[in-house]
Amino acid sequence: MKAVKRYFPIFVMPTLIAFLIAFAVPFCLGLFLSFTEFRTVTDARFVGLENYIKIFTSDETFLNSLWFTVKFAVTTVVTINLFAFLLALLLTRNIFGTRLFRTVFFMPNLIGGIVLGYIWQLIINGVLFRFNYSITSDAQFGFWGLVILMNWQMIGYMMIIYIAGLSNVSTDVLEAAKVDGAGALTTLFKVTIPSVMPSITICLFLTITNAFKLFDQNLALTAGAPGGRTRMMALDIYETFYGSTGAEGIGQAKSVIFFLLVAAVSLTQLMLTRRKEVES
Amino acid sequence: MARLRDTAFFILLLLLSLIFIAPILIVIINSFKLKFSIATEPFILPTAQTFTGVSNYIEGLNKTSFLSAFGWSLFITVFSVLAIVVFTSMTAWYIVRVKTVFTSILYYALVFSMIVPFQMVMFTMSKTANVLGLDNPFGIILIYLGFGAGLATFMFTGFVKSVPLGIEEAATIDGCNPLQTYFKIVFPILKPTTITVAILNAMWIWNDYLLPYLVIGNDYKTIPIAIQYLKGGYGSVDMGAMMAMLVLSIIPVVVFYLFCQKYIIKGVAAGAVKG
Amino acid sequence: MKRIISVILSAVCVFSCFLLSGCGEKNNNALVYYLNFKPESAAVYEELAKKYEQEKGVKVKVVTAAANTYEQTLKSEIAKTDAPTIFQVNGPIGYEAWKDYCLDIKDSKFYSYLSDKSLAIKDDNGVYAVPYVVEGYGIIYNNAIMDKYFALKNRQSKINSMGEIKSFEALKTVVEDMTKHKKELGIDGVFASTSLSSGEDWRWQTHLLNIPLYYEYKKSEQDPTLSLLDAKEIAFKYEKNFKNIFDLYIENSVTSKTLLGSKSVADSMAEFALGKAAMVQNGNWAWSQISGVEGNTVKAENIKMLPIFTGIDGEEKQGICIGTENYLAINKNASEEKRKASLEFLDWLFSSETGKKYVTEKLGFISPFNTFKVGERPNDPLASEIDRYLKDDATETVPWIFTAFPSENFKKEVGSGLLDYVQGQADWDALKKTIIDKWKSERG
Repeated sequence: MKAVKRYFPIFVMPTLIAFLIAFAVPFCLGLFLSFTEFRTVTDARFVGLENYIKIFTSDETFLNSLWFTVKFAVTTVVTINLFAFLLALLLTRNIFGTRLFRTVFFMPNLIGGIVLGYIWQLIINGVLFRFNYSITSDAQFGFWGLVILMNWQMIGYMMIIYIAGLSNVSTDVLEAAKVDGAGALTTLFKVTIPSVMPSITICLFLTITNAFKLFDQNLALTAGAPGGRTRMMALDIYETFYGSTGAEGIGQAKSVIFFLLVAAVSLTQLMLTRRKEVES
Repeated sequence: MARLRDTAFFILLLLLSLIFIAPILIVIINSFKLKFSIATEPFILPTAQTFTGVSNYIEGLNKTSFLSAFGWSLFITVFSVLAIVVFTSMTAWYIVRVKTVFTSILYYALVFSMIVPFQMVMFTMSKTANVLGLDNPFGIILIYLGFGAGLATFMFTGFVKSVPLGIEEAATIDGCNPLQTYFKIVFPILKPTTITVAILNAMWIWNDYLLPYLVIGNDYKTIPIAIQYLKGGYGSVDMGAMMAMLVLSIIPVVVFYLFCQKYIIKGVAAGAVKG
Repeated sequence: MKRIISVILSAVCVFSCFLLSGCGEKNNNALVYYLNFKPESAAVYEELAKKYEQEKGVKVKVVTAAANTYEQTLKSEIAKTDAPTIFQVNGPIGYEAWKDYCLDIKDSKFYSYLSDKSLAIKDDNGVYAVPYVVEGYGIIYNNAIMDKYFALKNRQSKINSMGEIKSFEALKTVVEDMTKHKKELGIDGVFASTSLSSGEDWRWQTHLLNIPLYYEYKKSEQDPTLSLLDAKEIAFKYEKNFKNIFDLYIENSVTSKTLLGSKSVADSMAEFALGKAAMVQNGNWAWSQISGVEGNTVKAENIKMLPIFTGIDGEEKQGICIGTENYLAINKNASEEKRKASLEFLDWLFSSETGKKYVTEKLGFISPFNTFKVGERPNDPLASEIDRYLKDDATETVPWIFTAFPSENFKKEVGSGLLDYVQGQADWDALKKTIIDKWKSERG
């Protein structure tokens, strides 16, 4: 393998350089800048933990968006996975037209977040107009609008993963359960679900991270209106950076917290469900 | 009994499919309506009074220069995906075959980058890109390579581990240098993963908004940027042009999907299982 | 699969050739980079850039910031290696934020053209930004509908012509009576939608708020704009008057209050153009929006402008609001060559025949430069109304002092406060508190 080692410049250099430029350097720089006050990077002035303190004392928008994001994540993770799993169950029953249905359900996933946002803005406003409301009349409308949008987009994706998991459940075990006289529900909870745990792990991971990191859809659907009460964390950080001048350090500190939160939540989830996988 | 139940399920699924397609149909319908009758009455078919033919499309194409946006989206997506597939698979192979402290650090750094949200590096990355002169459609390919490297390398290493060393050694004995060995022997074996990585990355890059907006957005508009720019970029939002451009941005994706759906669905499922 | 890939690849190749030959190099090596503030004029500026390149062989790059994103676009662009060479500051506050980038242009031809030198933004002995357009806003009304109203037999108001509306009281009487007769007048409401969706609320949080704050600082010793600039806090003494007019707008609107949060400026200009509303608050820049609406029913000769009355003592002498928030500055940090080219471009734009023609006819600007002769003014009905008020000695125009509002963020907060008030999520006192508090915190 000595020969391979000499080829380091060809095999690793391109990825390494790109990775350093696009991720590693900006990441470290971002970490550093979160402890400073700056406008253009070169003028950074060290301020210690001041930015972090300000987030929780003088800036009420971050905690609001954090709470909104958590509510949103919980709601969508439950609904998307539930609906996707049910659809996957239906589509593994060899019903006529299964392939066509699968194609249709997956399709919204290919459409970009900005486009999706404007599509649903049209539809939700169209419905609400009948009752003399619009999506910005109340933060509740924006919240449920985002939940519906996210379901429409992600259900098909998760469904595909569940279908792949379900088709791996051995028919022998299912037959055995039938012979033992287990009812449909018992079979579902005792046999099917435990054996698709790996799919559940990955679906939960994808839905949780996507919900926390949601930006495009949020920007296009409500842009935070009314009064920033439908602003999720990613959008809040963006607004702090680019919406006003002088708060760059705070924006960077917010993004560090955001990163820690996303990392903590997704890693905890992975550990919990992986343990379940091992048990079953 | 079972057949009756299956029929019921079939009807249920049919209804659900209609619900899933409806939003797209509604946008298509509205793209042919007069712009001020869109927002208030989106569920009504165009009437003689509100039907405008393709004028919304003409207006939208003029405003957004959609063709060039489409071109840039295509250019950036295709070349970024190519770069990601070729370079990260090479890196993955190197990491697996050459085990040093450095390669394992690199591997863990790449895996780590997968869980970092974009906002964390948004400002510093666009700044770095600008300073290094990467704020153009060529430079952004390098950015995408760096940003997509985490997931792609992770998936490739998983697969490379299962490639038997024997064939590679045979090739080396036949006088192939590592580069030849890699492209003649290893890369073809990686094909299933390559397809998966390509599809996942293409879906991401084609639809990405914030990264290209911050890096090249004012000079080169990709489709999502052009759509977002319709809101406010020309004074006040023009709903007619907006609907038309939404339709134009959906159609190519749907057509592509219908042609390659087998690969896309397989790729997505495979990506999830490995990831 | 192979076939699909080859199809895609060849398509990409064709496209890239097209792009690279067509517009790939268009933005490189441009000596002049103009960061445009007025999205409604984006297309005209593009055309201008082409024209200039044809005539002078100098490349001009134009980038237009989306509505309400100028500050953030400027902020990210100016930090770049290829930064804008000509950018806009919106008055003294804008200058404060960007003064490190503003070149002293006291000796330039562009400044020498300015008729009233006091309008420029000066600091110490230098001149750093020069206004390039004078604009005016008020309540635009459709005289045909008003005539129809005054001809009504069963109307209740005692006012018989637009000339008699010289106070909020009179305006309110007429508007409320018109609302009662809206069926007969063929309108959906007197006022077009008070657009409050994000980025579309500047007519209220900036333009309308100008009036009560102007009166609050009118009597101060120095110029009201300068006093407002120094104001650490505002008393918001005329909040009742602000409420008067705002309530009148939303209570007599084409659109019900709960829907205003989804309305855009284009919506409300279309309502006016299609004759669904009789009045709309906006400025002379809106002419292109009114005339550009398909199925437009409003005749140019029927478009007039009324001052925005709010019920303050002495308002019968008040005219429309005239001023500017559009000052051009040259980027000090650009290379010598680029700065020179940029000033030459501005010189051309505001003094050559071609340039002036674009300014008056296509951009529709009333220019404050002495290079424009008497006949060289836009001749649309709203620009004529501005001229009428400028010449009218009986009234006094209200200056644009909102250029001294503390920040863009302040305006945004006021906008969302107004939306909350309209939707009933907050009462007027809460809004008043928001305005006073945000002023203090944004200034501090």
